[in-house]
Amino acid sequence: MIDLSEIQEGMNLPEIKKVVRQENINRYAEASKDFNPIHIDADYARQTPLGGTVAHGMLILAYLSQMMTAAFGESWVTGGKLNVRFKAPARPGDTITASGKIRRVEKSGDRNLVNCEVLCKNQNEETVITGEAIVGVKDNENSG
Amino acid sequence: MAEQRKVEYRQLEAGYQFPPSGCRVDAATVSAYLGAVEETSHLYRDTGLVPPMAVAARVMASLSEHISFPAGAIHVSQELEFINTVSTTDVLTSHARVARKQDRGKLCLLTIDLNVFNRAKKKVLAGKTSFILPGTG
Repeated sequence: MIDLSEIQEGMNLPEIKKVVRQENINRYAEASKDFNPIHIDADYARQTPLGGTVAHGMLILAYLSQMMTAAFGESWVTGGKLNVRFKAPARPGDTITASGKIRRVEKSGDRNLVNCEVLCKNQNEETVITGEAIVGVKDNENSG
Repeated sequence: MAEQRKVEYRQLEAGYQFPPSGCRVDAATVSAYLGAVEETSHLYRDTGLVPPMAVAARVMASLSEHISFPAGAIHVSQELEFINTVSTTDVLTSHARVARKQDRGKLCLLTIDLNVFNRAKKKVLAGKTSFILPGTG
């Protein structure tokens, strides 16, 4: 977890890399109860313009949330905000890198609002998700 | 479980309120979710805490139980705010409302506001989700 004293504008958050596997997509479908065939039915998906199954956008977004949890811990879970756009699908076999950079830190009462630019890219450097994440870190949290 | 009656997206208008939807994200579901996304944070290991993205995923699935989306619907954007923690024993109620429906020629942009409350009526999650769909004009 990032120590509050280390937080500064321009700082990169520790990246997370994940390989998208059909098995994970299927498990995500079970957990989320989202059984849209474009995610889990290869025969169906092959006949669509996408040409094959794609991961749920929310699965890939979970990687960004995971990166924020690793960086900010409970502060993220109890006060995080995400605002993203899905730019391209992620397919089985893709390696997704979730990354982030602190754009600015603003004081708000006893909290520091940390505004981050966040991004998921695939192995071809194509943007899959782009957007911002904001987390409020209390003065006595994420320290020491 | 009784089949939910789905609303055809072409019939939706701004202000349309979907019926509230109840759900739980129990320990087995959390375990399946953590496995699917390969999340290893200690925050979720045997603590009863539900990852907020697992709540969001469940709420999105509830929404899809209410709307009939055509093949080719594209989830284009997502806003989420994690307000209070959720435990695996919490019973949640999600409220969804059409915030905007905008026809743009052959395409239609549909934006839905989401709010999720626990049994004590405390808001735990808020969000906004947008889809691009075939135009309704």
